[in-house]
Amino acid sequence: MAVNLKPVDVAVIGLGAAGGVAVLPLARAGLKVAGIEAGTWMDVHRFRPDEIYNNVRALVTSVPKAKREIPTFRTGNEMGARQGAAAPMMNAIGGTSIHYHAQSWRYNPWDFKVRLESIRRYGATSIPKGTTLEDWPVTYDELEEFYDHVEYEVGVSGRAGNIAGKIDPRGNVFEGPRKRDFPMPPLRDTDFTDMMMIAAKKLGWKPFRGPAAINSQPYRGRPGCAYHGYCDRGGCHISAKNSTAVTTIPEAQKTRNLTIFDKAQVTRIVSGGDGKVTGVLYLREGQEYFQRAKVVLLAGYTYENSRLLLLSKSKAYPKGLSNNHGQVGKHYFGHWDAQAGTGVSALFPFDLNIWYGAIAQNVTVDEFADDNFDHAGLGFIGGATIQVNTEKHPIGAAAMNTYGHAPQWGSKWKAFVRENAGRWVSSYIQANTFPYENTYLDLDPDVNDPLGDPVCRITSGPKENEPRQALYAGQKMEEWFRAAGAIEVTKAQGGGGPALTTHAFGGTRMGDNPETSVVDRWGFSHEAPNLGILGASVFGTAGARNPTLTVQALAWRTAEHLIKNWKSIG
Amino acid sequence: MPEENKPFNVTRRTVIASATFVPLAALTAAAQAPQTVLSPGQLKTLEAFIDRLVPKDENGPGAVECGAGTYIDRALAGALAAEKGTFLGGLAGVDTLARATHNAAFADLAPEVRDELLTTMDNGSASGFPNARPFFNRVRRLTLEGMFSDPYYGGNKNFAGWDLIRYPGPRLAVAPEDQKMSAPPKPYRRSAYSAGAK
Repeated sequence: MAVNLKPVDVAVIGLGAAGGVAVLPLARAGLKVAGIEAGTWMDVHRFRPDEIYNNVRALVTSVPKAKREIPTFRTGNEMGARQGAAAPMMNAIGGTSIHYHAQSWRYNPWDFKVRLESIRRYGATSIPKGTTLEDWPVTYDELEEFYDHVEYEVGVSGRAGNIAGKIDPRGNVFEGPRKRDFPMPPLRDTDFTDMMMIAAKKLGWKPFRGPAAINSQPYRGRPGCAYHGYCDRGGCHISAKNSTAVTTIPEAQKTRNLTIFDKAQVTRIVSGGDGKVTGVLYLREGQEYFQRAKVVLLAGYTYENSRLLLLSKSKAYPKGLSNNHGQVGKHYFGHWDAQAGTGVSALFPFDLNIWYGAIAQNVTVDEFADDNFDHAGLGFIGGATIQVNTEKHPIGAAAMNTYGHAPQWGSKWKAFVRENAGRWVSSYIQANTFPYENTYLDLDPDVNDPLGDPVCRITSGPKENEPRQALYAGQKMEEWFRAAGAIEVTKAQGGGGPALTTHAFGGTRMGDNPETSVVDRWGFSHEAPNLGILGASVFGTAGARNPTLTVQALAWRTAEHLIKNWKSIG
Repeated sequence: MPEENKPFNVTRRTVIASATFVPLAALTAAAQAPQTVLSPGQLKTLEAFIDRLVPKDENGPGAVECGAGTYIDRALAGALAAEKGTFLGGLAGVDTLARATHNAAFADLAPEVRDELLTTMDNGSASGFPNARPFFNRVRRLTLEGMFSDPYYGGNKNFAGWDLIRYPGPRLAVAPEDQKMSAPPKPYRRSAYSAGAK
């Protein structure tokens, strides 16, 4: 029997990048919030400058619940699905924001109206075949104030390219107008970033230092970055990098309106005959609890959001919660990025010294993303950002491609690596990515977690638009490396797209039409009026850049909508 | 500077104070009794293998001298225990291949002969050894880990692996001059786990 807990105003499922932000405005507004998180506080002693610990054995990121629920993957409806080896999900207070790179981009205005703008400029035939692409029911302008809230709350460093229409070429001239500057200047320049800035300018491009939720100087009681270089798959040992565990969650706790229930694995969201949700069931150390709430905000990872809805069946929702229109799991897509095989790497005839520094200490070129260039005759819409980063580790460096100059072992290999392990660098290419009919999430019919609940199954069929974007961007990346003096460049050949990814989108799309989306323009279910959904699972498209800041801006906006409409929703 | 930025300077001392890694007692315990799984014969076969992957030569110590064998042995006793069976099967396969082709244990073969056999494993043509290629790749990967990981794990002895590729070592606080391309930082030969690591 479940133990009934004292009812609260809002139950937030998941205190990660999204839920961890939403609790702050809710708690400040005086609502009683239960933050229900499968993980717990992470000990700062686990954040070590140790490649084996973080990167090879993934000991920060492999956590029990996520490991038990790794989704399966297949490339078509007739194919068998296999369970992945690693979990991109994370259970901890702070969630994936513990170990993310903290690149904190605003999406560009075009991202929210890809269909409209593409048809206007290139005609209806430009829309990729098989896509279920819709414009977002939100514009950049509507989201601007929420981007601003989050940037100042978590602390984002960067150089503005457009303040209220005033263009500054030191920043990203393609970004949407922001009402004020970043709270901090960009992370510091290095010889390597200077070299890549100069090379891009030589090509006539407009490179800039990307935005990061990492303190470039002391900010709100947290120190500036120490640049030791273990952001990737690790947490920050001095909390210079944001995670919601060191920014918005502690702020929300100060109000005394947030109660955190850790190590609590939510198994079902419960709904009544009237279609409203009544609360959540969770397991903690073998005991089941029921947390009644007037409103539930689902803020798990993209795979978990769809899965928990599909598992939460009731009389009102026989196909899963908020799924009477059959839209849960649809319009899913993984980001076409480095994990999808867009990699381009280069060898230089001199030491780069990129052993230290944050990945977010990058140089980015936005010319070939979005609709920032003329696509006439190219056969695709969208594009990709191209970017180079610091932070290289010795095992990864020595496991290098030998660019045809040496075998993979023996004395010749040793001599080659001795000279070149510190002379190569890869790039980070992230493409605009769209939803397709052949790509979706559902429950796996064969694979269960230890509780007997099916895991999420990813079906991801072939696409044409995304590989073309990636190939085009790869050519530009090669030009950039050559301009900087690279003597060898290798490019991945398109690739089949991402399987399991840390950049996963959709499944609970946001839209005005209940026949093609799960949540409305405010992030609330079309069907269960007191259920909100937070996270990249509500995105209709992926921008050509990291998604977290947009996740957080939307989470804040959904929370604020709830506060303003508490009488009708709560 | 926006007004909400209170002056708060991070010093090297602050960094040290906020970033000790593992309780010293745990470290000492680990250092006293590292678990291993390989028999002397198995270790000999493994070292005869990795010695050819990264030989000792004019460029310095090889995989064996770097302690990559120790790294692998300890890993199989701990973090990689799940693959112990497969790995030991692979090692046995290497000796079986050596006996079938040269009527001798792998470790007793001349370096050039070992290279020939490893080449057949690498390209998948080793007869009677169906898993030769994945095993070869796994040993190669673990050898890299053993050579270039923190010495805490048993390899990278005397920081020879890091010295080989001019990796200057983990630092908790990195100054602007440490990111210079023209004058890379001097090697900092310290484990992240050693007392006083900064």
